[in-house]
Amino acid sequence: MMSDLLTAMPPGFLMMLLALPIIWVPHHARQLVMLAAIAMSAFSLTAGAGQHLNIEMLGFEMSLYRADHLSLPFAIVFHIAAALNVFYGWHERKATDHVAGLSYAGAAIAALHAGDLVTLFIWWEATAVTSVFLILASGTQRARRAAMRYLIVQVASGVLLLAGAAMLYSESGSLAFAGMTLGSTGTWMIFIAFGIKAAFPLLNGWLQDAYPEATVVGTVVLSSFTTKLAIYALARGFAGTDLLILIGCLMTAFPVFFAVIENDMRRVLAYSLNNQLGFMVVAIGIGTELAINGAVAHAFAHIIYKGLLFMSMGAVLYRVGTVKASELGGLYKSMPWTMVFCIVGAMSISAFPLFSGFAAKSLIMSALGYKGLVAAYLVLLAASAGVLHHSGIKIPYFAFFGHDGGHKVKEAPFGMLVAMGAASALCIGIGSLPGLFYQILPYSIDYNPYDASHVLGQMELLIFSILAFTFLMRFGFYPPELKSTVLNTDWLYRRVAVAAGRPVLWAVMAVWTSFVCALGGYRDAIWSSVERLAHAPITGPTVPGRAVMVQTLVLVVILAIGYLLAG
Amino acid sequence: MGQWATRVLLAIGAVLVVLEFIVHRHGEIALEDLPLFPAVYAFFVCIFIVVGGIWLRKIAMRPEDYYDDE
Repeated sequence: MMSDLLTAMPPGFLMMLLALPIIWVPHHARQLVMLAAIAMSAFSLTAGAGQHLNIEMLGFEMSLYRADHLSLPFAIVFHIAAALNVFYGWHERKATDHVAGLSYAGAAIAALHAGDLVTLFIWWEATAVTSVFLILASGTQRARRAAMRYLIVQVASGVLLLAGAAMLYSESGSLAFAGMTLGSTGTWMIFIAFGIKAAFPLLNGWLQDAYPEATVVGTVVLSSFTTKLAIYALARGFAGTDLLILIGCLMTAFPVFFAVIENDMRRVLAYSLNNQLGFMVVAIGIGTELAINGAVAHAFAHIIYKGLLFMSMGAVLYRVGTVKASELGGLYKSMPWTMVFCIVGAMSISAFPLFSGFAAKSLIMSALGYKGLVAAYLVLLAASAGVLHHSGIKIPYFAFFGHDGGHKVKEAPFGMLVAMGAASALCIGIGSLPGLFYQILPYSIDYNPYDASHVLGQMELLIFSILAFTFLMRFGFYPPELKSTVLNTDWLYRRVAVAAGRPVLWAVMAVWTSFVCALGGYRDAIWSSVERLAHAPITGPTVPGRAVMVQTLVLVVILAIGYLLAG
Repeated sequence: MGQWATRVLLAIGAVLVVLEFIVHRHGEIALEDLPLFPAVYAFFVCIFIVVGGIWLRKIAMRPEDYYDDE
């Protein structure tokens, strides 16, 4: 009975429902309630593939729970991430992070199961309005501003999605969320809506702007869902769209340079996240079964290892109070476990054999090779070396080794260690048992990443990248970590748009003010003439003007009624 | 990283170079089949990335309080 009720409910729904009441649950019990909510939501997945909940609303058939081979792997990893985040945030007594995190994860999971574009829009916006509290909860003026920028961009993406859906409906008469072909304005709007959340080039500013401003727990939670929801949406809507290969290549290449010179470690990870999304976008652009498997596998592995890296830097921030590379170093002494977990995350993202990134990325690289896309292949190969460089080496090196920052701190709280330990185990498990991992992918494949040739090639790539780093360090060519702000595409709306927009705003305001002034003048003129009439006796010395006006008004009303009755 | 770490890395690098001539390595694209291609490519890509980063600093780096007047 209970199980029937759960499987009839869209996954994630219960998480959103329980997110608010947990405010009143005391600290430790709250974490348990959250885990229970996630477990019950995960139980809904046992309903299997199919359309499980359709409702009729305003004449539209809304599909609230559609599950298939593409939504399932995303749903599984979203639940895993949500559960890991509960452990990671166990030390946090304030409810804000937990309420926002649980409802945000729930909204993202519900969005995965939207069968039509309007339902998708609702959860799409819900992820924006829930997650913004993870940034706001930082409580600083800086975070508040970043949160507002984040919200504007995210809501804009939703508005584009809705507008595109409406146009698509008027063209085709269908709101179903299925494969689309770029062409009409409607499909382009939906494509850009997805592109904003997937942090396409030039649309990516919000990611590096907002994520590093969130709370310790908040950044970890944020890193899991929004962008991967967009990857899922692209995989469902635009698989095989050639343009995505070019977009994805740009996404893998450009953030690498920014990551190298960025000082804030959580921002370095945000650039790295962007670069990883590029691999998935390329794979979706290829669109073959192997490539889609690669995109999904990469998203799955990525959520866990990227979360793990953010967790380790969150732990550093929590204990040290900063994640500026220029102020860190030597933490291996005081936070040895965090260091070990960070290195597992670093080796996973760098795609060392036996770690999850290797099992996932190999699929994408092979899919590119089979298609004969040599240029894209070389870009992604270079980006792989770049990933190793900024996420694999820079993050652990500058935080835990390198120049000693002189911080004497405690190891991360127990809950954080549990979450990082579990994530590390998953990274190694996926990397070591790829056959098992591949079984949850959308298409059944016969693929083995562990042939001697492939492993050797990858090891060469990795070891010689590290050698290049040591070479540059040893001979002093490596740029030092500097306290700085590195301009990113958010500069376009934080500076350029402001500079260009201010004169326009002034001009508009000048016209508006003079219009309002003129209106005010007319109003005063009319009012003073009424006043004059009211005080001037116009019908003789005994009847004041006001009485005449009232009488006239009554007469007009009577006449009007009479006219209406007669007519 | 200390001296020993560099030595270990160099040793692994050397082993990989030797393996390159024992294992028949083939890549996903023809170019990758060239001897030591991944090693050479990765090494120069990493240097290129750092050079690119230094160049990017010249045009995109601002003081830490750049946005503080917002």
